[in-house]
Amino acid sequence: MPVIETVGLTKYYGKTKGIENVNLQVQEGEIFGFIGPNGAGKSTTIRTLLNFIFPTAGEARVLGLDVVRQSREIRAQVGYLAGEAGYYDDMKVKDLLAYAARFYKQDCASRIRELVDIFDLDVMKPVHSLSLGNKKKVGIVLSLLHQPQLLILDEPTSGLDPLMQMRFFEVLQEENSRGTTIFFSSHVLSEVQRLCHRVAIIKDGQILKIEEMEQLRSNQFRKVRIAIDSDEFNGNAIPGVIHAARENGIWHLLFKGDINQLLRFLSEYKLVDLWLEEPTLEEIFLHYYEKEGAE
Amino acid sequence: MTILRRELGSNLRGLLIWALALALLNFWMVSIFPGMAAEGAKLEELTEMYPESMMKMFNMDKLNFSDPLGFYGVESFFMVVLFGSIYAAILGSGLLAKEEDEKTIEFLLARPVSRGEIIRDKVLCWVIYMVLFNVIIGIFTWLGFEFFDVGAFSRATLFFLVLAPLFVHLIFGAMGFLSALFFVRRKAALSMSIGLVLGLYFLNAIALLSEDMQFLGWFSPFRYMDAADIVNNGGINWTYALGLLLVAAVMVAVAGILYRKRDIAI
Repeated sequence: MPVIETVGLTKYYGKTKGIENVNLQVQEGEIFGFIGPNGAGKSTTIRTLLNFIFPTAGEARVLGLDVVRQSREIRAQVGYLAGEAGYYDDMKVKDLLAYAARFYKQDCASRIRELVDIFDLDVMKPVHSLSLGNKKKVGIVLSLLHQPQLLILDEPTSGLDPLMQMRFFEVLQEENSRGTTIFFSSHVLSEVQRLCHRVAIIKDGQILKIEEMEQLRSNQFRKVRIAIDSDEFNGNAIPGVIHAARENGIWHLLFKGDINQLLRFLSEYKLVDLWLEEPTLEEIFLHYYEKEGAE
Repeated sequence: MTILRRELGSNLRGLLIWALALALLNFWMVSIFPGMAAEGAKLEELTEMYPESMMKMFNMDKLNFSDPLGFYGVESFFMVVLFGSIYAAILGSGLLAKEEDEKTIEFLLARPVSRGEIIRDKVLCWVIYMVLFNVIIGIFTWLGFEFFDVGAFSRATLFFLVLAPLFVHLIFGAMGFLSALFFVRRKAALSMSIGLVLGLYFLNAIALLSEDMQFLGWFSPFRYMDAADIVNNGGINWTYALGLLLVAAVMVAVAGILYRKRDIAI
């Protein structure tokens, strides 16, 4: 039984499309990446899974339960981390955690203590006085305190400093090794690449592709800029180049493939300068997935 | 019940401020009555100078100013009804709207709690509060009547005078819940529900002013709990009271049904 299963899931806000015909299957024990640019429909999908919003068409099951009719039972076993959440202004961190814990049947106190230690949270502080990163940490603890079977994370790393991000990923991996399934939504390809087993790519409300991580790893995308004086050099001739353009004497390339091959190719030329960067997801979409989708 | 517990605690300060302000105002009003009554003749003269429309609007044509309950009916009753309705509207609309306005609704909806349970707890909190609100004001007013030398009065009639506002408060609170569903922003829901209170109060005032306009009063909840009727009949009209309760219950039920079906996206 898949932990998340959507069949033809569609959501329109009036006439505006949220998502259309989304088909997903997330298996038990998986870390599943859900990636797409802002506004692609990631949050809409998640909110439908948790029944914050109702599907226009299609259906979805989480842990074998119907997302509309059995939402309460689903939410007892799901931990959710919102992209941007508000917390009650009149509460201290400990009040908020205790309030959340009261909704669950089991005793969450010891798990809360563990998590507060891991994320180095000051529970005596009022929630409204926390920085963005600390609010995110509170959100992470809230999503984990009842030891859920499924974690749904919407842009979980925004606002976290690198150290906390690392700790968070460690916790996720630990949770995962205990059997927790993780649904990880993000617009940053690299963090999904580090963690996930499989990835679904969504754009304009539609799933463009579902890929195994192995596949995606071999598709190492790099943004390459080459400063070169030679006019003979042609960026488009390099194997693995998806897109190339020359601007003010500098070549801008989007490269996919083995970086060593690229370097071997470039070693034939006399370069003035060379930059390798991770492309943004938008750039990858623009030049790669959109073309594939169109085919 | 988790949400009920939380709401009962977090809105307590507002309740105490509103209830004690009105309770003390009532207490003070009752305290000045003996002095006013002593100057009975002058008072009559003074009220005769009031324009007729004002007399009608404040029921001064139908109530005896030198009688303690008549005095209370003119001077205090409308304030409890009107300001209590505003508080009921603020509380009713705020209880639901604040979760979406402050983006805390996703926190709540991520817990294993149904929409029905959320609105049930919020409505329960609001009903308990409105009852407490009127009990606090009622006790202070009664203490005033016992403590100060106001002369003879019917305790039963006083009981109905302090009970009557509750029915109107319940109507406007229920309107607050409904308006929170149509206006997601808390400020908009608040303005709408306070606007309704003032608009319908005004409607009733117009109805009191002119015979031709009298029918308009029946569209205003205020018409059904009228101080002059209560003092002169020695009680409230139970048909009206049950009618108001029923309308409030229907509005809350509609709010509940709508709340369960709606998209909540912040």
